[in-house]
Formats: sequence, C-alpha cells, structure tokens
Amino acid sequence: MNSVMIGQYIPGDSWLHKLDPRIKLLSVVIYLVAIFIVPLKTDITSFIVLGALFLGTLLLTISARISVFKMLKGLKSIIVLLTFTFVIQVFSVKEGTMITAEPIQMSISIASIIAIILIIVVYQLTKRYIKFRVLYFLLAVIAIFYVQAVLPYIEITHYQLEIFDEGLYKSLFIFIRITTIIITTSLLTFTTMTTDLNYGVESLLKPLKIIKVPVDIFAMLLSLTLRYIPTLLIETEKIMKAQASRGVDFNESTLKEKIVQIISLLIPVFVISFNRSEDLANAMEVKGYIIGAKRTKIDQYKMGFNDYLTAVFSIIIISAVIYLKVIG
Amino acid sequence: MGIQFKQVSYQYQGIKTKYLALDNVSLNIDQQGEFIAIVGHTGSGKSTLVQHMNALLLPTSGELIVFGQKLPPKKNEKINHLRQKVGLVFQFPEYQLFEETIIKDIMFGPKNFKISDEEALIRATNAAHIVGIDDTLFEQSPFRISGGQMRRVAVAGILAMQPDVLVLDEPTRGLDPKGKTELMNIFVNLHEQKNQSIILITHDMDIVSQYAKRVIVLEAGKVVFDGKKEDLFEHENFDSFHLELPTPLKILKHLEKTLNIKYKPFYDFDSLYQHLKEVKL
Repeated sequence: MNSVMIGQYIPGDSWLHKLDPRIKLLSVVIYLVAIFIVPLKTDITSFIVLGALFLGTLLLTISARISVFKMLKGLKSIIVLLTFTFVIQVFSVKEGTMITAEPIQMSISIASIIAIILIIVVYQLTKRYIKFRVLYFLLAVIAIFYVQAVLPYIEITHYQLEIFDEGLYKSLFIFIRITTIIITTSLLTFTTMTTDLNYGVESLLKPLKIIKVPVDIFAMLLSLTLRYIPTLLIETEKIMKAQASRGVDFNESTLKEKIVQIISLLIPVFVISFNRSEDLANAMEVKGYIIGAKRTKIDQYKMGFNDYLTAVFSIIIISAVIYLKVIG
Repeated sequence: MGIQFKQVSYQYQGIKTKYLALDNVSLNIDQQGEFIAIVGHTGSGKSTLVQHMNALLLPTSGELIVFGQKLPPKKNEKINHLRQKVGLVFQFPEYQLFEETIIKDIMFGPKNFKISDEEALIRATNAAHIVGIDDTLFEQSPFRISGGQMRRVAVAGILAMQPDVLVLDEPTRGLDPKGKTELMNIFVNLHEQKNQSIILITHDMDIVSQYAKRVIVLEAGKVVFDGKKEDLFEHENFDSFHLELPTPLKILKHLEKTLNIKYKPFYDFDSLYQHLKEVKL
C-alpha cells in the first residue's frame, strides 16, 4: 500500500512547503486553468507555452527538493492511459500533411502475432530488471507496432496506418498536458499537510458564508476525512493480515471465495470505523468542540514576501497565457 | 521441522524513509515442546518477527524456513498452507470477527483450508469448548457478547484450524485479571496436553516468569537474549535489557534487603510460599 504516491505528504522545509496554503491552493488552480487555456493547436507558440508550463512544474518539483525521478516514477500508474490516448490520437486524426511517404501496410499475420506475444512475454519477464521501466514500456509498445509493419508472413488481415503530423502533434500535446496536470496537483499534496490544505480550502470558501453555507462544518468534515484515510488504510491492512492468518488468500481464489473474503474485510473495517468515529466525537466534545462555534487557530497564517511573489507570478502566468490565446 | 530464522532482516519502506525492523535475526524454534515468550520495548520488532512465522511478512534479506518451506518463496510457490500450520492470533483479535453467528465465525478458518462443512463444525465445536464458549452461545452474533468472550471466540477461530504451532501477539492485553488467568490457562493446557509449541509476545513479566520456558529479548530489531527464563533473570547484564523483574523476584529481593532472607529465585507464588515457609520467619 506504500506504492500509492498520489495524495501523500512528503515532509520537507523547502519554500513550497512553507508557502501560505491559501496562496498555494489558489496558484495551483490558476496554473491548472492556464494549462487548459493553452489552445490545442499545432502552431509553435502553443507548444512553447505548454513546454514552458511543463518545465515550470519540473523546476517547482526541484525547488521543493522532491526528486524528479521519483515524481516521474509516480506517473507510472497512468502511463497505460497516456499511451492509450497517444495511440488513439495518432490513429484517428487525419489532418495536416502525411509524414510517411505512403500509407504503411500493417498486417496482422501469424508471424506478427507470434512476435507480439513474444514481445509481451519478454517484456513481462525482463521488466523487473530494467531501471527505466516506463521507457521500456514505451519501447515495447513501439515494437508491437513495428513488427506489424515488417512481418507480413501468413497474413490474416491488414490495415493501413497513415501518420499525419497533426495527429502526432496533438497526441504529444495531450500527453504533455496530462503529465503537467498530474505533476502540478501531486506537488500540491506532496508539499502541503492536510491541516494546511484544509485551512486553505476553508478560507478560500469563506465568501460562501454570506449565503449561509456552513463552510466550517464542511472544512471540519474534509479534514477529518483526510485525517482518517491513512488510519483506515492501516486498520484495513491489519484486518487483511488477521484474515490471511485464518487462511484467506487474497491473491489466488475464485470469484465466489472473493466475495466472502471481501465481506470478511469490510465488516470488521466498518465496525472499527464506527467505534473510532464515536470515540472521536466524544473526545472532541470533551475538549469543548461545539459545531459552528467560533474557533481560534493555533497557527496564525501570515502572508510573507514569498507568498505575494507567488501570487503575482501566478497572475502573470495566466495573463500571459490568455494574452497569447487572444492574439493567436 | 519447526521454524528456522537464518540471518533474517526486514525493512519497512516509506517514501523517503527506511526502517530496519529486524536486523540479522537467527533463531531456531522446535515444532513441539516450546513455550517461548518474546519481550522487548514497543517498536523493537516483536510483531514483525511473529508475522514472519506464518509468512505474512517475507524477509527482505536472509532466509527463513517454516516447516520445510523456504521463504521468501520461489515464484509460483504457494505459501498459504503455512498459515494453517502456524496459527497466529493478532493483537486485539476480536476485531477480525465478522460472521452472523459465533460458530460460523470459528468455522471460517478451517473452511478456508478446504475442510468439509461437517468436519469444520466438529473442529469449531471442539475449539469453542477448549476456550470455554458454551453451546448456547453458538447461534448468537459475535458482536453481542462481552469483550473477553469475543477474544475467546477469536482465539477459537485460530485453534479450529488445528495449527501445529500457536503464535500469540499480546493475547492478554486489555483483559481483566480474571480473564487474563483464564486465557493463559487455556494456552498452558494446550501446551501440556498436546506438547504444542506456543510462542507469545507479552509485556507482562509475571506471565513470563510463571509460564514461559524460553525467553527471547528483542531490542531495536536485534535478538539480545535467547535462552531459559532462569538465565534471563539471573543474567549479569539484566539491567541492560530494560526489563522489569517479575513480582515473586521483586518480593524476594525486597525481603533480602529488609529481613535479610538470602535471595534465591522462585518464579511463581506457590514455590515462593513454600520457600518462605521453609526459612520460617
């Protein structure tokens, strides 16, 4: 369960960690909007702008003293999705000029099917020894298409692959866009404690109080939920181990067995979380918590030079992107 | 047979942190006749150690042999059957109950190991009787009984699998004195009647002195003592283990200081009483 990177907090003391959570949250939102505003067009400015935003996130990652390598490793879980969109784009967009001189004859033949199976088997067997697994995966995908082009022996059926420059650009564009978005949002959770994040959400939503939205209750709900995700994960792991000791094999079993196993996991976790929430409610009440009452904070957030600078920068970035969109 | 640890280390891995929970542990545990207490501070690796015994955790380095099965296993080797041979009762095992009735919950373990319903029922009934759960309770919900009884039902759930070695992670934690003694007596009976090996984690030195034959002391993932309990409490560096003395020895030490009765170790209250009668104050 430790392999889940998205949504975790990595302790540190970089300027990004110390940034005011309100500003950080606002800047992330602005940044995301900026990424989406960049038009999906094949001209060079779009690419430069997107590339700059992408480089910007990488620089932010470095300045937060989070290893870029680890960050990219965290993207592993979505690489299949990314590759899938890439392939779909390349195949479906039929605009612009063709790169290949003539359509490539792709054949699904006995030879190529055997080659594809071989590639997949070799990939599965060797991937654990390869350090750059993502790159290796991409190579495998390319190889799968390559053998279809060069092994037409004992053909079953064939299709034509026409690669247009527009399709290539667009798929690359979407690839970079998704990557940038995920890195940016991960950066927020990596460098912000849930309490800070919660404070940021609470104070950004404060204007809603005017129309009688109970913002502080939502904020408390949010913070309690976030706070208890890791706890529940730990409890679930414990129960999993306890049931594994009673012979439950979560890896190898039939569907019918799986249902019983999930029940054996769910009921204890429910019981534990009900007990916990009752204890927590009592503990909060004992400490004088009253729903909706005005509360003071142990940490007073003060805007510093860095915070103002970040806010200004975010505004400059989005203005620049909007300006480029308007003139482009 | 039994369980052999050969220079086993285990490392917990976080995003930025690594934590060595077991450091080069070598142990040999026999299949029969052992009554081992594992003691040590919280965080010294006791729970990690016992979770290796039924292959819930696999060593990150070194080798572990459980009933002839080498761990970590080769690819495609199944290890689930080890959990039937080494029954592990977790801390606060009452949280693992989930079935509608008590008897069904006790039958859950045996049924997972492909034992027929009739046979599982027989085993469950036996196990329930061993821990002192009445037939009248069998059809009740496991959530409607007291905490102490829930603990017994959970223990019965492991006993019903008829494990060769029984491993207990702080079985008496959170129980009242009476419940503690009763539960410990169940384990002692199992040990004496079937000569079954029992391994238990505890912080209670009285349990160690009264029941255990062999004691393993862990400190920061290392085994710092492994031997008879008599050798432990008489060990010249006993203070370096940061452990408490059991009550009978405390009394004897105190009597030596105050009444000048010569110190001689006795590990339970009966023999202490006999000794005091002999020296006749």
